Amino acid sequence: MKLESHGIQTNLPPGWEGRITVRRKPEAVPGDDGGAAPSARVFSPEHHVSAGGVTAIGDATEQILPVVHLGNFPLPGDRGDFGSGAVDVMTDLDVLLVLAEYGPECAGTALFSHQGIPTRLTPNMFSASALQRTLPGQAGCQVWFTAEDRAFCLYAVLGRQSNARRVLPAAVETLADTRIQPR
Amino acid sequence: MTALVVALTAVVAVLGLLVVGLLRSHAEILKRLHDLGAGIDADGTPSTPPAQAATPADGPRPGRDFQVMPQVPSPPEREGFGGAADLAGVGPGTGETVTLRVTGVEHDTIVAFLSSGCVTCQRFWDAFRKPRKLGLPGGTRLVVVTKGPEGESESAVASVAPPGITTIMSSQAFLDYDVPGSPYFVQVHGPSGRVRGEGTGPDWDQVRSLLSQAGDDAELAGRLAGSNVPKPDADAEREARIDRELFEAGVAPGDPSLYSADDAASGADADDRPERTNPR
Repeated sequence: MKLESHGIQTNLPPGWEGRITVRRKPEAVPGDDGGAAPSARVFSPEHHVSAGGVTAIGDATEQILPVVHLGNFPLPGDRGDFGSGAVDVMTDLDVLLVLAEYGPECAGTALFSHQGIPTRLTPNMFSASALQRTLPGQAGCQVWFTAEDRAFCLYAVLGRQSNARRVLPAAVETLADTRIQPR
Repeated sequence: MTALVVALTAVVAVLGLLVVGLLRSHAEILKRLHDLGAGIDADGTPSTPPAQAATPADGPRPGRDFQVMPQVPSPPEREGFGGAADLAGVGPGTGETVTLRVTGVEHDTIVAFLSSGCVTCQRFWDAFRKPRKLGLPGGTRLVVVTKGPEGESESAVASVAPPGITTIMSSQAFLDYDVPGSPYFVQVHGPSGRVRGEGTGPDWDQVRSLLSQAGDDAELAGRLAGSNVPKPDADAEREARIDRELFEAGVAPGDPSLYSADDAASGADADDRPERTNPR
């Protein structure tokens, strides 16, 4: 099953599904002065509008970049960039892969010096301390990389760390079948 | 006098034209009605439109054998359930690219084909806003599918899309599932990828009942298939041996000699066993 958007394409193995999402920019909340000047506008983290599972949240000045969610389980519609909402429904044999793009100024910097999509995920790379949100039994890992002058973070979550050897081959296969094109 | 004759002639001519026009209009109406299947043929039987006459007569057909409620699509003219396929489309109004697995997964999926515009669909959009009251079977995922952006207004779909339930826009899915119209529902058994039930109704309660019935039927069929007890080996071997010996003696299946003694002895009982006296 092919998934392609925003210069990212992947072939999902059986049982896997995915989404490529670009968050909506939030609308400005006027300040006390009526919101005349853009610099005076206030953006509350709680200010978001959900439509079709994509939430407008964050800063109106930020650059909105695509986020890829791939999983071997039914991905819920309401998910955070780094899988909140999805990790809550993961079972022991589930894997979640997140590819979150960063701004072009990050490409090739020290943190993003790894070239190409990481395809060598091993069980010892995963740790509960690497999770964005700690849930019992789960483990995660993060790898920052640059591909085609685009900076990404790969964030992988295992439903149960002890099942790493069973579930990682499919995750690695999925990553190996993923291509990133230049902007 | 001459003027009167000329005037009368003109009036008669105009009236004649009117009559001819009315007759032609009437003939056209009758022809259209005949094409639609209305009217009575010469032999007293209702006329059949050519399109329906060409379709196979087996199985009930909407309009002939039953009527569907207004604003509810007629079932497709095919035997059995349609196919199932994984879903791919876009999120309404967001540009999100979505793929969903329906086949080859552990969970079942109910695919709800809706439209943002139809009146009946609105009841389902409203019902889906309260997922906990839907009474979905355990391990079943509900997915709403509308036609793609080329066939639906993205903003309209986004405005009615229920939060918490995945909604995607995909015209291809309507083709893959052979959907006759909206609203329409298909329940897919995840592990086998087969359609367990499909249909429509005026509200969620009826659709849920329909799908539940289809699930119960499938479960019952599975149970019955699992409870078939094979004959003991000795019985099966004896039956095979007798069949073989009779056949070698020239007594084939359906031979009258197999039944004549019974017929003579039981007389009228033969009427109770037509399948034995009239072997196929």
